[in-house]
Order: sequence, then structure tokens, then C-alpha cells
Amino acid sequence: MKADVTVIGGGPGGLVSALFAKRNGAKKVLILEREDELGGILKQCIHNGFGLELFKKDLTGPEYAERLIDDINKVGVDYMLDTMAIHLSNDRTITAVNSKYGVFNIESKSIVLAMGCRERARGNIVIPGTRPAGIYTAGVAQRFINIDGYLPGKEVVILGSGDIGLIMARRLTLEGAKVKGVYEIMDHPGGLKRNIVQCLNDFDIPLYLSHTVIEIKGKDRVTGVVVAKVDSKMQPIEGTEEFIKCDTLLLSVGLIPENELSKEANIEISSNTKGPVMTETMETTVPGIFSSGNVSVVFDLVDYVAETGVIAGKNAAEFAKEKNENKKFINILPGKNVGILFPHRYSYRDDLILFLRAGKWIEKPVSIKIKPLNMKMRRFYARPNEMIRIKILQDKLLSAKGDITVSIKEVEG
Amino acid sequence: MIKHFTCVICPIGCEIDVEENEGKLILLNGNMCARGKEFVIQELKEPIRVLTTTVRIKGAEFNMLPVRTDKPIPKRLIPIIMEDIAKIEVNAPIKMYKVIVKNIAGTRVNIIATRSM
Repeated sequence: MKADVTVIGGGPGGLVSALFAKRNGAKKVLILEREDELGGILKQCIHNGFGLELFKKDLTGPEYAERLIDDINKVGVDYMLDTMAIHLSNDRTITAVNSKYGVFNIESKSIVLAMGCRERARGNIVIPGTRPAGIYTAGVAQRFINIDGYLPGKEVVILGSGDIGLIMARRLTLEGAKVKGVYEIMDHPGGLKRNIVQCLNDFDIPLYLSHTVIEIKGKDRVTGVVVAKVDSKMQPIEGTEEFIKCDTLLLSVGLIPENELSKEANIEISSNTKGPVMTETMETTVPGIFSSGNVSVVFDLVDYVAETGVIAGKNAAEFAKEKNENKKFINILPGKNVGILFPHRYSYRDDLILFLRAGKWIEKPVSIKIKPLNMKMRRFYARPNEMIRIKILQDKLLSAKGDITVSIKEVEG
Repeated sequence: MIKHFTCVICPIGCEIDVEENEGKLILLNGNMCARGKEFVIQELKEPIRVLTTTVRIKGAEFNMLPVRTDKPIPKRLIPIIMEDIAKIEVNAPIKMYKVIVKNIAGTRVNIIATRSM
């Protein structure tokens, strides 16, 4: 099988990439989706708050997905459902498997990675105790309730205050479960502030900062968890343990980009973003392989995912036409107080959209500095749970020589 | 009296301190855009939210159809509306934005499907 642009994954990143590959002149654009329909995780995110930037409307996840699916059908993107990409090589050959063709190869002029991310689970955070039923990641519980129609439990403790955990605290409450509390090991919440307000405060669900679950109890089913306060080094403080009776523990403890295929193709993975090392054109370190959405770096908003898809799709289409292997680039490096910084390289071909997270909480006015551009931006504060987006026009960057460094500094006033 | 709000209109989540003085709203602290001002005025009067949930569906690939209110509803009515919605079952096929319940709980707000199924 041959294609001009093949997109691995049919979630928002993949759908937008395919749409924009087609709109930019790629002839055969093919999406490979392992599930039985397109849309990815949006299908189970039934809450609103999506699309304010891309569609200028307050949409739910399923609406956002259906609009994108309608769009790709209009422009004539091909897709294969129930199809799993199982191997990727750096000559842009994908090995996939489905029940129609068995194991087969797709030779593609360019590829967009859009595999998304997966949830960290109990094994990633190592909670001692028994191994009973009733322990779920927040996203799995979300699928059970919103798609399959099963309530995973009646008395729930949520560990971690990531956005999915907060959304699920509200959702479980609406469906009649009792959410006893959200416990967060850090001294600040992990999710967006609006979700603290409309998911926890609106329903009087308590949030316990600097707390964690230190033990899970129960033989066949969870019967409770032991929580404790933690010190500044996130170690449980003796004497603060408390038993909380519950039948379900939900984990909302972070997401990891799913890069097994990327590694197979010898794509360099960044220890900063946990996704491919990329340029502003969303190209990875392997020519012709691009990346979009949460497989690149975990974003806060689906609109940001879509924005990377627009760029990846356009550049994948261009590569399929003319195979432009531009090797010239400068590095983009995190400076003081900058945690996650994306993308990693600037190759002088397009505007640069930077996405960054503060490395620590600064509850004071800050200035974000971009060297050597002499750019400074003021903000009221810098918080790691809120991704910052900065667009820099190509004109400003053409004269930049040497690496770009982004830093955050506290300022007076 | 000083009142504190966190605006939920957009992902920025601005923190806003206001004082209501003889029906006039005075901004004391924080960033308040036009939409934020509207939000605060509404919160003082009657907090409203868009309710998103699911209803049972028969004859579709999955058990649940996602739905939402087509306009924000008073927050205090959410439990009553959830009870009404729990009784509903629909049959596939359903088109996105089809009205599932008209005038739910007498609110003049409709429950609409948020996907085709």
C-alpha cells in the first residue's frame, strides 16, 4: 500500500493533521485508527469547554470530534479503523495489522505521528497495599460512565488533581456517587483553576493539597485507603495517617506521550517533553516524519493539540511533494524557571509557536524573556499547571543566530 | 462586601475580587474582561452552568449518548434535572444537536444530543 501522508492515530491531533495535509495538496491521505471509530479521547470527554480558540465556540468533546470528522469526510481523507500500527521504520514504512489485510506495509512519502498519550497508573507511582478491584485511572472511569454506562463505584477517593480527575469528581457526583475528596501530593493543584471551581467547589468536594494515598486496603474490593500529609520533600509525615472508607480509588496522576513507535524509527526523544525532538514545522529528527498533539508533549487544551496538527499536516503535505530536507536549525533551550519547553529546534521555515510551563510556582508578577530576540512578556504569575503559548513571527526570527533561550524572571510591581 | 470569583468562562481562570456597592460593581483586584464582567454579574445574581451528561441509547454501538443543555441553567436546578434525565432512553439513530428533551424541568432549556449515533 502507498500513501502521500499517513497519520498514525485518529484523535484530534491526527484528524487535524490529516485535514490540513489534504487542504495543502497531499493526494492520498490515510489515517490509521486502532479503535472502531475516529475521534480519540474526545468521544468520552462529554463536558464542555473545548474549541474556544479553534471554533470560537464552547463545545463538548464529542461535538469537537464530530465537526472534525465531518471536515475530513468532506475533503476526502481515507481512514482505516480497527487498524493498529505495530512498526515504524525511518524510511517511512509503517507495518500495520487489521482483520481485513492481516499484517501489511504502508509506504508513505511522509508520516504524522498522532498516537496521543496514556495515563500513568498505580505501577508508575507505586502505592503499597493489596490488589483489589476498584482501582481505576480517571480516564478509564470516564469511559465506563460516559460511553459504557457503568458507575465504577459509590464512594470514591481521587488521587491527583489533574484535569481528568477533577472532571471525574464532578461527573461521579452528578451520577450519584459520593466523592470523599481529591488528594494532591503537591502543594498546588495539578489541573486548571476553572476545573477546581466548576468541578470541586460547585459540588463541595474537598481538595487536600500536600496529601497522598500511602496504602490501599481491601481483599476483593477496595474497602478504603490510608492518606497522609506530606512534607516539602513529598514524604508522608508520621502521625498524620488517616483511614478513608471508600470502594473506589481513581488515579489522576499524569499522562505520558505514547512513543513506542517513534523509538522504533530511531526518532530522538526529548527528556524534557517526553516526546520527539521537534522543529517549529513539527518535524521530528527523522526527515519526513512529523508529530502532532499529545504524543509530542502533553498539552492542556485540545485547541493547542489542533494547532500543532495544522502545522504538522501542512508540512507533511509539503514534504510529500518536494522532500525538503532542511538541516539548518538552532536549538530552543529552557532557561531559568522554565520546565517544559516545546518545540526544541527552530529551522527558519515558519513562525514559531512556543509552548512552555513554568518550572516552579511563582505567585508574583513575572517576565518571560526570549533571548536573543530581546522579547519580554509580563504575566501576573507563573504556574506549572497552566501552559503558556507564545507566537513569534518568522520575520523576527530570521536574523536570530545562536540558540534561543526562554527564561522566567520575577519582577517588581 | 468583597466577593471573590474565579472566572470559568475560558481556560485562563482569572481571579477577580469585586465589591458591590449600591448595585454598582467595583473591580478591586484581578483581570476582568467583558466576558468576565458578565460572568461576575451573573454569579452574583444566580450562578449558571451548562450541564453535560449522558442518556441511555438503544440500537447504537455504545450504551450512552452524550447530551447537554442548549443554554446554561441555574446551578441549583442541576440535581432535579439529573433526576429527570436519568429516566430517559432514546433509540438510534440520533443526529448531533437533536432535541432529546424539550423545556427540561420547566426551565425553557432543551437537552440536546452532542453527537450522532
